[in-house]
Amino acid sequence: MKTLIYSSALSLLFLAACSGSSNKTQSNADPNSASTKAMASESSEKGASTAAILNSYIKLKNAFTTDNDKEAASAGKEMVTAFAGFDKKSLTAEQDKAYTDIYEDAKEHAEHIGDNVGNITHQREHFDMLSKDMYDLVKLLGTNQSLYVDHCPMYNNNKGAIWLSEVKDIKNPYLGAAMPTCGTVKEELN
Amino acid sequence: MIFPGLFAILVIIQFIQPDHNKSGQVMPNDISETVLMPNEVKGILKKACYDCHSNNTDYPWYTYVQPVHWFMNYHIKSGKDELNFNEFGTYTPRRQQNKLRSIESSLKEGTMPLYSYTLIHRNAILSKAEKSLILEWVQSSKDSLNKNTQSRVH
Repeated sequence: MKTLIYSSALSLLFLAACSGSSNKTQSNADPNSASTKAMASESSEKGASTAAILNSYIKLKNAFTTDNDKEAASAGKEMVTAFAGFDKKSLTAEQDKAYTDIYEDAKEHAEHIGDNVGNITHQREHFDMLSKDMYDLVKLLGTNQSLYVDHCPMYNNNKGAIWLSEVKDIKNPYLGAAMPTCGTVKEELN
Repeated sequence: MIFPGLFAILVIIQFIQPDHNKSGQVMPNDISETVLMPNEVKGILKKACYDCHSNNTDYPWYTYVQPVHWFMNYHIKSGKDELNFNEFGTYTPRRQQNKLRSIESSLKEGTMPLYSYTLIHRNAILSKAEKSLILEWVQSSKDSLNKNTQSRVH
């Protein structure tokens, strides 16, 4: 009898775990939310506008400068929505191919950041890879705001990492409050 | 009164057997077609990673008991979404690089293989030598992929 009780309890636990997680993935992947549509119409004015994507990236970056994993997660989710609302129509075939390469990678990083509240180290690792994607995205499609490419030499065991910033002052998103001013401006993007 | 009900549910769900993660097909997009892969590396990945990160799972007997099967399926699905060694060739060059980097960091941090997996699959616990073998292979694969991308651009 005892084993039966245990196995019943266990099975309920499993069921609860399974259904809980499937719900979560559903709500994350919903591309038809109101904000998506709003962003899509906004960006269609300038054709292939990267504004919504870059705005959510900047939010993400600023969350990391203050070591805020929760804000980073919500910015990551916002970025997934921004990608979903991106209008590819005005891209040339060649741009489309390069964009898809960036998008498939970047979307995954944004999703991971969104799913990893409580693990800012892991979020930052994805932010490192995401920042390279964003740099390539701006090089490919341009930006309507001035951006600085900053470099942190210490992150990732001194392998270094870049990030994009809307302000000239250094606010390091990789080391956060521990070393807020570590880094240099490498390039300006317009 | 609750327990007979639970028991009935337990019995009923045994009849729900979802599809197994099995594919007898050749794998043209397998990672070994994209990067060089020594046999030892292949062996380690097969025993410690492929159950959740490929199109073929070795199912132990108890996974045929429900609700363990659902639990496993969920794990396998999320594992494959994250990284599928059999589909590695379909990833864009950028993603291939980053997947290798993630393999490296999850090994170094010890987040993979999952504890809940090694709890039962004791032989999936990687020895120091096995770990460093994989890490070396990751490094050389990253370098060779890098070279490929650069030669394509120039």
